[in-house]
Amino acid sequence: MQDISSLPFGEAAASLAVPHGEGRAAQSGPAAAADCRFAEALLHRAQVEQAVDYCRRAWPAVGDDPDLLRICGWVFSNAECHDEAAAAYRRLIERCPEWTAGHRHLSAALAAAGRFEEAIEHATVASDRSAGDAEFALHAAALLAAGRRGEEAARYIARAASHAVGDPRLLADAAELLMQCDRAETAVELLQAAASDGGDDARLLRVLSTAEMTCGRLQAALAAVDRALVLAPDAAEYHLHRGHLLWRLDDLAGAAQAFRLAAACDPDDRNVRQAQMSLYCAGGLLREATAAGGDLLLRFPDDRDAAEAVLYLLNHRLDTIEGDYVVLVPEAERGLRQPRAAPSLRQRLCAQRRVIRALIIRETRTRFADYKLGYGWALIEPILHIALLSVMFAVLMHGRPPIGRHFFIFYYTGLIPYLLFVHASSGMCHAITGNAPLLQLPPVTSFDAIAARGLLEIMTDVVVAAVLLAAFLALGLARLPDDFWGPSMALLATAALGCGFGFCNAVLTVFWRSWEKAYNQLTRILYFISGIFYVPAMMPDWARHLLAWNPLMQAIDWFRAGFFMSYQPHWLDRPYLTIVATLALLGGLALQRGCRHRLSVPL
Amino acid sequence: MIALEHVTKAYPAAGGRKQLLADASADFASGHNFGILGANGSGKSTLLRLLAGSEMPDRGTIRRDVRVSFPLGFGGAFHAALSGRENVAFIARVYGAAVRQTVRFVEAFAELDDYFSMPVNTYSAGMRARLAFAACLAIDFDVYLIDEVTEVGDERFRRKCAAAFRERLRRSDIILATHNPHTVRQYCDRGVVLGGGRLQLFDELASAFACYRRMLVADGPCVSPSV
Repeated sequence: MQDISSLPFGEAAASLAVPHGEGRAAQSGPAAAADCRFAEALLHRAQVEQAVDYCRRAWPAVGDDPDLLRICGWVFSNAECHDEAAAAYRRLIERCPEWTAGHRHLSAALAAAGRFEEAIEHATVASDRSAGDAEFALHAAALLAAGRRGEEAARYIARAASHAVGDPRLLADAAELLMQCDRAETAVELLQAAASDGGDDARLLRVLSTAEMTCGRLQAALAAVDRALVLAPDAAEYHLHRGHLLWRLDDLAGAAQAFRLAAACDPDDRNVRQAQMSLYCAGGLLREATAAGGDLLLRFPDDRDAAEAVLYLLNHRLDTIEGDYVVLVPEAERGLRQPRAAPSLRQRLCAQRRVIRALIIRETRTRFADYKLGYGWALIEPILHIALLSVMFAVLMHGRPPIGRHFFIFYYTGLIPYLLFVHASSGMCHAITGNAPLLQLPPVTSFDAIAARGLLEIMTDVVVAAVLLAAFLALGLARLPDDFWGPSMALLATAALGCGFGFCNAVLTVFWRSWEKAYNQLTRILYFISGIFYVPAMMPDWARHLLAWNPLMQAIDWFRAGFFMSYQPHWLDRPYLTIVATLALLGGLALQRGCRHRLSVPL
Repeated sequence: MIALEHVTKAYPAAGGRKQLLADASADFASGHNFGILGANGSGKSTLLRLLAGSEMPDRGTIRRDVRVSFPLGFGGAFHAALSGRENVAFIARVYGAAVRQTVRFVEAFAELDDYFSMPVNTYSAGMRARLAFAACLAIDFDVYLIDEVTEVGDERFRRKCAAAFRERLRRSDIILATHNPHTVRQYCDRGVVLGGGRLQLFDELASAFACYRRMLVADGPCVSPSV
């Protein structure tokens, strides 16, 4: 055969190839023989495809010629056309039933074609006919083991083993088949007998190690693989197996060393890298595990499982990492603070006073931040207002006020309570909306913001009142009121009234921004119906009865009555104003408290 | 300790009110630094305002036996029309700290130079954050509440803040809200995961991170392993 496959003959055969002509009869025996021979030559030149083509063309005319059938079977099985190969061998066996090797070939072709039952049948026939052939017996045993027929397989294995003494390759195969049939103990006996015969073979010892491990004898398995490694020190798989054994024996360091050796023997072995990563993970050596995983990914970038494992590792490592990240002071160095006792009422009042004071200071800085005189304008404005009105009315009324002798004092007594009320109530409109950022400070509550604004307005107007009065006195335009108590109480009631409305305004402005505009219209109406530049005595009774319900008019008359002893109007009802002012204040506070959860939301 | 007892809180968000906490109870024990992890928009800032007391729960109570800072975040508690100096003075007054000393500390720490006397609305975001950091540090709180601001400012200032906090952490705790686990690792020893109306405390940072990561992947609340 060797001379046929030599190149000159091959070329000669190719040059002999006759084109498939029309005149060529497909049934002719000699033509089929030529095709088969030619296919054989092509196969020798490794031109499998063409060889199959020629065989297929020859096949219908091959008939029962054993030589041609053998060639067809050989070509078809080499081209992995197993069904066709099986057909060829089957016909060959029918022609020469006593040819044992034919059964063996047919069995292989059938097994390759996936027809196991038939394959087993012919394999057993082959083995039974030549009982001394260990290879035939092993072939039958392998098919039986694959078909889960352990008993029969074991019988053929025993037959193979008895005829394979001295052939470590066949013995190792037999042992592996025994393990496949769950007969590890038998395998161990077989292998140990072979190994003690002095036939030291690395693969035999490696299989022995597996068999011992399967039987649960880890130390024996380790000894076997150690012996195998003496014979084959460069086998990566042996080192890997040894590492797993050591790992199962809890010798993590030894296992790591074995895996390292395996990796050195075969750097491209995926199993070794995975084993390394798993081992380091199990041993808690995350840094090393990550390194092994990185190596694995570097070599096998498409390994999805490895990528996920490495990602998990990296996350875990990041989550538990120590060193440069942690800047905390060790627990021991930390002096723990004592928990603070709940603040007493006095402390809480002090804190609130601090906050309101801070808010008032802030208010005086921002309200007139764009003007040079700053908060001075808060004083100058009402002073100019009163002075101008007084001069105007003095000219209009020819210098005669409706009551008393000093027209400046008359308008003063009308305007001061009015301004106090209006400044307080409308000035508080934007107490919350204008202080939204400051309300982010937990100690600053919406109550503080509103109260601070109200207090500032009231203090400003009291100062204005005092400054004006002092100025009038100095100019000789007024005299001190006969009774300080009355005007003070009137101003207090007015302030309370203004604050009550102010609290409501502050809350309402948060929800309806245009509320402030509406309220300002209301204060303009109040300007005319509160008796600022006239006395209600001038009005018809029905109108005065109606206006007497206006608390601001009551406030002005109360204030005025203190300045002019002669002016004691009969409609002045001090308790009415006191009650209305108190109710307004309580109502405003209640509204603020009821809505306080919704007032501190960042705007 | 800051203790939440059966706290329920919803807050207005795009598309109706969003449930932040539903009957949540948790103890932020003293002596530990907590990192609150939550996705963007999960309500970390609102939670911090709840802890601070700037905002009140819809139901339930929050008890504190420590002095808690204002939430230190963007925006901040500054009045735009006031200068940095006036704002700091205000904060000092509110907390009863010495005004002059506080202002001096902030002036030196925040490095705003001439801007310190300018209205805050002329500041850049970074300058605002620097002012907020300095103002917060200037006052001696038991617990500092920090909202994401660790990512603001240049590298040098961040390092300066970290150093200052390290010093302050000898005696005080911090509660830090962020969506970045790395920030938590820098400062905290305990983790809190906020999501799906629940507040889960973990003694181990690693378990908090694992839970947070699961939550981000599952886009829903995670079931905590036996805590």
